[in-house]
Formats: sequence, structure tokens, C-alpha cells
Amino acid sequence: MTNVADATPVPGQAQPPARTSLRDLIAQTEIDLRLFGMLIAFVLILITFNVISGGKFFSPNNMVTLAVQAAGIAIIATGMVLVIVSRNIDLSVGSLVGVIAMTYALLMTNILPDILGLPADFPFRWAIALAIGIALGAAIGALQGFIIAYIGVPSFIVTLGGLLSIRGIVWYLSSGAAVSGLDANFQLLGGGAQGSLGGPLTWALAVVGCIAIIALLISGRRQRRRFGFPVRPMWAEVLIGVVGCLIVVGVANFANNNFWPEGLADRVAAQQNWGPKPEGGWRIPAGLPNPLILLLGVTIVMTWLATRRRFGRYVYAYGGNPDAAELAGINTRREILKTYVLMGVLCALAAAIASARLNGATLDVGQSYELYVIAAAVVGGTSFAGGIGTIPGAVLGAFVLASLAYGLSFIGVNSPGQNVVAGIVLILAVGFDTLNRRRGTVGSSR
Amino acid sequence: MSNRRMLALSLSGVLALAACSSGGGAATSAPSSAAPSESAAASGSASASAGGATDCTVAVSWNNYQQPRWAKNDQPNIKKTVEDGGGKYIDADANLSNEQQLTDINNLIGQGAKVLILLGQDTKAVLPGVQAAKDAGVKVIAYDRLVEDPDIFYITFDNVAVGKAEADAILKKVPEGNYVLIKGDPGDPNASTFLPQGWDDAGLKAAVDAKKITVLNMGGSEWPKDAGTYTDAWKTDKAQANMEAIIDKAVADGNKIDAILAENDSTAFGVAAALTSKNYGYPPLSGQDGDEANLQNVAAGIQYVDIWKNANELGKVAGATALEMCKGTDAASMSLPAGLVEASVAPTSPTPQDFTTPGGNTVKSYILQPTPITQENLNLVVDGGWITKDKLCEKASTGPTPAALCS
Amino acid sequence: MTAVAAPPIVEMRDINVAFGGVHAVRDVTIDLKAGEVVGLVGGNGAGKSTLMRVLSGARPADSGEILVDGKPVSITNPRDAKFYNIETIYQTLALADNVDAPGNVFLGREITTRLGSLDDSSMESETRKVMGRLNPNFTRFKMPVRTLSGGQRQAVAIARAVYFNAKVMIMDEPTAALGPAETSQVRNLIRQLKGEGIGIFLISHDIHDVFDLSDRISVMYHGQIVDTVAKDSVTPDEIVSMIILGKRPDEATEKELEQLELHT
Repeated sequence: MTNVADATPVPGQAQPPARTSLRDLIAQTEIDLRLFGMLIAFVLILITFNVISGGKFFSPNNMVTLAVQAAGIAIIATGMVLVIVSRNIDLSVGSLVGVIAMTYALLMTNILPDILGLPADFPFRWAIALAIGIALGAAIGALQGFIIAYIGVPSFIVTLGGLLSIRGIVWYLSSGAAVSGLDANFQLLGGGAQGSLGGPLTWALAVVGCIAIIALLISGRRQRRRFGFPVRPMWAEVLIGVVGCLIVVGVANFANNNFWPEGLADRVAAQQNWGPKPEGGWRIPAGLPNPLILLLGVTIVMTWLATRRRFGRYVYAYGGNPDAAELAGINTRREILKTYVLMGVLCALAAAIASARLNGATLDVGQSYELYVIAAAVVGGTSFAGGIGTIPGAVLGAFVLASLAYGLSFIGVNSPGQNVVAGIVLILAVGFDTLNRRRGTVGSSR
Repeated sequence: MSNRRMLALSLSGVLALAACSSGGGAATSAPSSAAPSESAAASGSASASAGGATDCTVAVSWNNYQQPRWAKNDQPNIKKTVEDGGGKYIDADANLSNEQQLTDINNLIGQGAKVLILLGQDTKAVLPGVQAAKDAGVKVIAYDRLVEDPDIFYITFDNVAVGKAEADAILKKVPEGNYVLIKGDPGDPNASTFLPQGWDDAGLKAAVDAKKITVLNMGGSEWPKDAGTYTDAWKTDKAQANMEAIIDKAVADGNKIDAILAENDSTAFGVAAALTSKNYGYPPLSGQDGDEANLQNVAAGIQYVDIWKNANELGKVAGATALEMCKGTDAASMSLPAGLVEASVAPTSPTPQDFTTPGGNTVKSYILQPTPITQENLNLVVDGGWITKDKLCEKASTGPTPAALCS
Repeated sequence: MTAVAAPPIVEMRDINVAFGGVHAVRDVTIDLKAGEVVGLVGGNGAGKSTLMRVLSGARPADSGEILVDGKPVSITNPRDAKFYNIETIYQTLALADNVDAPGNVFLGREITTRLGSLDDSSMESETRKVMGRLNPNFTRFKMPVRTLSGGQRQAVAIARAVYFNAKVMIMDEPTAALGPAETSQVRNLIRQLKGEGIGIFLISHDIHDVFDLSDRISVMYHGQIVDTVAKDSVTPDEIVSMIILGKRPDEATEKELEQLELHT
């Protein structure tokens, strides 16, 4: 069991020799049908907007914009999956993002330079601010988690209280005013041409990604062989490897076709003495934006935590049957507490992206995030009944919702229209999933 | 709690939150019916000032105390003017909720208010509260936000004039080219009606009709309803996300953005962030309110003009008018004390003027004048005590074109 | 033929449990020898499950002692019980529905790699081995257990107990939800475990099962033990009368026995 997408069973005995339907073929690849379906839906949405906009929608520049807009919500959604899986909820994420964003802003405009005397060019000033933000998020998360897990107040109430009181604290911190002017290095966390990996590193990352996929496939197969378990047919392994690599390389190529604005390149060229401008312009590839790299890292770590560590196993088991988890001797309170600490950390990361993008913080940063995050998790397959949900699904859900918001903005549909569409999609996605489960065709948990 | 109840409770909570954060109202933050009546660090309950022994209690019903300007500018000036005149000050915050505001008004009347200074969350939904006040013999001042009732006294900055000032400044700088229009909350009449009217008074529609100006982000063909992109609850990050999409579309279409008319500072801040992250450069950009962060952007050359409404003066006018009302002075015989208000900001006449509302009511009013602030006259905000020079110039050196005042 | 008397593998002495104003278990003393099945019977609310929950660590007793192999031990949580090789198969099976069979077998006691990560392959392999002994036709190792039949789920619960070298097994209504074929499978398994020297506390409503499998039978009534008898020295009707009346047959009056309409 190496891939989180594993869930559909491979029959241990020989297949009956009847005609193999498409469904059987897909089953043999062991790809999670639901995740796959959502990927198709996402692609369809992109295609639809591309057609409506006359081919202008699907460009490297626009897709990078979309990815950066989705990143913050997606990051928090990875943690929300674990919270909802363990039959809890966290309504405070929006306010948490707001207070941490305001903290970053105040730290960098006020506290660090003025009170602690760290000048703007102090190395890693951004890292200090980030560390403080993460610690703050973890602390608030731990407090909420403690009240929920050890004192037993329902999570809905505790996090609702958090939502209200923490948003109020943001007001007191800032007297309601916007704070702006962050560290130049911190700003890079928000993406943009200079806040991206650049051409060479992006290609390098793509190569690493491709190798990693192939390595995982090989080691998974070897592991199964060693234990005598049934393995995927060779054609399925090759297919997955090839498609996976194509996707990774394709995304990298796309990101590298997003070039620096020529004006910016001219400026930096003058500053850094690059020499004469080549014919046809500088054409410097921007590559993958930093928020997306952060999201990638978070997704990998969270998926690993959820599927390969006891922590994840215990969270899912508790969600499936709290009694069984207790009787198995699992320290369920500690695991629930950890889910909230994780949420705090994730909110700190999302707040870093949001405030970096704004180069500051306003009173309403992060407002309503909880709705988008919960929607992303739910669209991605997480169920409020507990025990069911995947992290890649939630990330995909966040991208689906973000693509709708961005696409509608792009083609000129105003916000009321955007809200209507978002609501309809949410209901459709969950309705579709519920129907599917009823039919008993899909049953994945991890 | 059983599974199903948790599920039902969670879902209904989520839906309730969705209901209060969509459309016109957004903030679900500070406890409602509470407005700190000191600045920043005060407690959160409706409070009363220890004013003089007269029975002139002046009550303020805020609709959204969360926005920076109220605590910083309007409230201290109203309070001081009232208390200096021997009156008593009380207030409450409705936190963007119409229902809460009606409750607040009733509470304030119950606490003995003689005059109600009212920032109506909605021009019509607040009418029952206005009626309750009138029935109780309480005089009503509509402060900054219009109320559609023939008996109120309207004290405001001329929002249409604000729009005109925004567009005047931008049109003068960019008489021809591609414009992007960024509007505020679609449910707010300022956003949908008054400011766009001002834009047209300055000649926007005429220029569009004469094909000198093209609006890149038309949502349809109706003017002004479809002209531009609205921003839910005036939220900065929504404005940022919308602007990023607009920039992407413009680039995809091969259009250059020559100017951006943003209705206020919170949206302008988001627009500026979008321009920065896309390294687009800074076409002339408008705003209003004189928020600190935006004035810093003006000093840095990121925002072109900020329509400053010296809300200090507005508070003084409201306080003085409330005191007169307590004494029973008839509206027609009122007169603003000389020297109370800065000349450039003061209403055109010290006696109340008639104002005709969109709903057809004719009310008495004091309409104050806004001050467009550009890099040329930045000193006005410093001299007026609105912002310190150090704070104003904090970011100037890192901007594209720092103001002379800051170098 | 009597062998040299070895100490009982588990003994519970003077156990008391009270909650919510109910004295659920009252001064109960009971023991179990290796290779023995003790049937624990009684009406609803008699205290059987509560007593066994004390032994399984799910609910500590308010007073009393537990001895394993003659030595006093402290069992305050499920981990403690498992440490002393006491495994429990609960009436509800206590399986996590969304987790697969290997995950459930090893729940709380996962095999980990050197880095502390889950070693799913080893767990699956071990589960295949142990399930092979219990239910050789079982193949759905990677599906969540909610997709399995009642008997298969029962097999997973039993596999969990068997795998960890239980010396004492508590089985609470193991055949209540099963059909005839599966019931007979479970019965065979119990005999098999008995033969391996494992001691079993068997809670059951089915008098037929109890008589078929037990060596001794303890009857509980209102939290107390009415009597503990060897199976061969008592008839099913006498057991039923003890369950209903809460008294030993020789203590019951003629009238009470008549009311039960039993043949003595």
C-alpha cells in the first residue's frame, strides 16, 4: 500500500475471463475513481472557460494566477480534512489567518524594526516573522484543541467562539487600520515574477518529481512481490508512470512559459548589469510560484502524515468508530489535539501567503476562509459523518472552487453570480458523491 | 453529541455564516451592539460619557464600527463636540446587521437619547427605527449614510462630489484610453449610485460615448449598472483577486490599462497589490477615505489620488447640530458656529440647505466638501493632523515615484 | 482424572462497579483456568458485560482485585489488559469501519518501520497468515471492513485477539448476529482455541451454545453471582431458573418454580 489513491480492490484470485470493461481496466490501475472523476471535472471547467473566452483563458500566466489564488485555501483544506474526518469542525480558520497576517504585518513594520531594533536588511528577518506566526498559530490551535479534546466542549462551539473573539482581537491590534510595507524577502512568499522558482529550478523539480513517481512505483511493486501480494499489471504501472511524468513535466513547462514582464526584466537587468537585451526580449521564465511550492510541500507532508503515520491511522480510525479507537488503547484526545495544532500551523502558512500578496494586512484578511476551506474539503470527498476523506481530494476541491471564482471573474461575471455558481457546485459535488456511495461502487478512505 | 446532530448543527452553522457573509454584509467579527467609545484599546460595551449635567443625550447608532475611520476620526470629534457643549454621549454598533440596528436604536432611545445620530445600514430597512425615534420625540440626524425619510437631517460629505473629484483627477491625467472601474459592495447605494453619478458628472459617460475612453471590465451593456466590477463588502482581498483576473484578461486581449477608477481606499489597496504582484506598473488610481496605508501609497506614487474627507470636521458638524437640536432650535434657524469647521471642507452655507434624495424626499442638510489629495498637496493631510509626516513617508522611498514632500 | 491444580490464569476477586446510582457489579469473584470455557449468563442488566469490561480495561473497577497467573495486576485501560494477554471481542466488534482488515487487526499496535512509519505490507502479510487459519476464503484485505459480511467482520475481530497470543479471551455474544453456518464456524473456533490452552469467558444469551461449549457456567443476577457450576452438574432449565429468579434451584420455592412453568 504505497499510494494514497489505492482503494479499489484487486482480486486475489484469477479474473473471470469475461470481457474487460473500461471500469475493470480503471480498477486495475487502482486509481481512486472519485479523485479521478474530480480531476476530469476540473479539466472540464478549464476547457469550458477557455471556450467561452475564445481561447484566452488557458494561458501560462493565467493558470499561475489561478494557482496562487487557490494556494492559501488549499493549504488549510489539507488540515481540515483530518479535522472533519475525526468528526470535528474548525470554524476559526478565517479569523486565525486574519490575526496571524496582522501579526506578520505588525512584526515587520513595527515590532522587529522599532522595538527589537532589527533593521530591514537583517538576514532572515522574514524567517523570524514566519516562525513567530507559526508558533502563534500552533499555540491558538493547541488551546482550542485542548478545550475540545480534553474538556469536551463541542468543536463547533469552541471554534465559533474562536472565530468571533479572534477577529475582534485583530481589530484591537490594528485599530482597524490596514498595515502595510512588509519585508522585501517576505513578499516573495506571495508569488509574482520574482517570487517564483525560475526556469532552471523548475525543470530540476520536474525531473525530481518524475524520478520520485517512478521510484515509488518500482518500490511499491517490489514490496508487493516480496510479500507475495498481487501486483498491478505491467501496462498499468507503465501507464501511470508515463502519465504522471507527463503531467509533472507539462506543469513545469507551462510554468516556464510564464515570462517575467519585460519592464521588470529591464529594471533588474539595469540593476544587475546583465548586458544588452537580446532580440525578442529577455523572456525570462518565471517558473513555479512560491505559494505553489509551499502547497506542494504541505500536500506531500500532510498526505504522508495521514497515510503512513500512526497519527493519521488513529485519526481515521477514530472518525470511523470512536469507541473502537478508545478500546484499541489509542490516546484519542492527544490525536484530536494534534489535528488542531496542525490547523494553526497551516493557517499561519496561508496567512503568510495572503499578507505577502497584499504586502500588508487589512482588517478583513481571511474573512470567510472557513467556508471556502470546508467547501474545498467537502467537494474533495470528505464526509461530515466522519472517517472519510482524502488530502489530495481536498486540494483538488480547492482548485475546482478557485478555478470557478477566477474563471467567472475573467469572463466578467460579477460576485453575486460567482456566489450562485459556487453554491450550486458545492451541492452538486456532494450530491453526486452521496449517490455514488449509495450505489456502493466507490468506497475509499485513504 | 450524536453524529447526526453534529452534522445538522455544523451544516446549519455553516449556512448561517454563509447567509451573513454574502452580499451586502460581511463582517462577523466584534460582538454586536458594542462599539468602543474610546479609541482602540477600550472595552467593548456600549458606553456613556461622563458629560455635563444637562439632559442633552446624543446617541450614535453605528452600522459598521469595524472600519478604521469611525474610531479614529468621526467618533472622537462627535463625542468631544457634544461633551464640550454640555451634552452626554452614548453609542452602539450594529455590525452590518439591519436587525441589530433596530435593536440598537430602541436601546438608545430607552437610554434617554434626545438626538439620534444614525448611520443607516440600509436606507429603507432602517425606517422602522427612524419611526420609533420620531414617535419618541427623538430628532434624527442621518450621518454620512442616507436614510430615506422626509424628517431626517442629513449630514454627510457629498458622495456624488467625492465621485466627481475622483473622476476629475483621473480624467485630467488620462483623458483618453482604457479604463478599469472597481466598485464597492453591490448593495451599497454609495457604490451603485452616488459615486458612479459623480464619475459621470465629471464626464466619464460622455467620454465613453464619444469613444475616447473604453471601459475594459464592462459586465453588460447597461450604464452604470454593468459598468465595472463590484467588490463584496468592499473587501481588499476580493478586490485584489478581481483585479488580477482583470489584468490577466487585459493582457490576453492585448489591451493596456491606462487608468483605474476605484471607489474607495480598501478596494484601491487590493488593486495596488494586484498591480504590484503582476509587476504591471501603476496607472493612475483613485480612492477615497484617506486611509493611512493608501496615503502612503500616494506618497510612494502607487496611488494617484485619494479623496480625503476630513471626517474630523464631519463629526464636529454633527455634534454641533445635535446640540442645537437638543435646545429645540428649528432647522431653518440653525447656523454653524464660525470657525468650527475648516473653510475648505465646510458646507457652502452655514445654514442648512435642502437636499433631494433619490427616493424623492427633501431634507435639511449640511453637505461638506471633500479634498482630493495628490502628491502635490500631501501636506494638507499632515497639517490637518490626519497623519504624521513620518508615517506618511514610510514607504515613499521604495515606491516608483516618491513625493517631493517625502524626500 | 484431575491434574495437579495450576493457579487459574485469571481471577477476579470482590469486584465492585457502581455508576449513575446503579450498583452494576457487586462483590463478584470469578476465575478461569487455562483451556477452560466459562459461560457467563444472566438477564439484561445482570452485570455480565460490565464485569468483562473491567477485565478488558474498558472500565476500571471501583474496588476489588485482578490476578493473572496468581499475581495481582493493575488493569486501568485497554492497553494494560492487552499487556497481560487478555484480548476482548466486543459485542459490537469494535472495528473501525473505514479501515481495512490489517489496519483493524493491528489497531493501536501497528507494526512500524525503523523510522516509525506504518509498515502496511508487514501488517497485511501477518493478517493474511492469521486469517488463513480462521477463514481461508477471505480475500478482501484492502477493503474497508464495512464492506464485509457479519461473519467476516467477526473473523477479523477474532483474528485480532488470536494474533496477539491471547491467553485469556473475552467473547461477548459472539454469535448473536450470525447465521447458522457462521455460528458453527465460530463454535469450532472456540473449541480449537480451547484445545490450544486459551481460557475463554463466553457471554451468551444462547443457552444451547453455552451448554455446548462451556466447562463451567456462572450465572449473574443484579450484579451478583448467583452460582458457578460445572456444566455436567446442572440442566439447562435449572440455569434458566437461576437467570430469571436469581436464586439457586434449591433455594427457590415451589410456587416460583411453577410460575416458570418448567419441568424439574
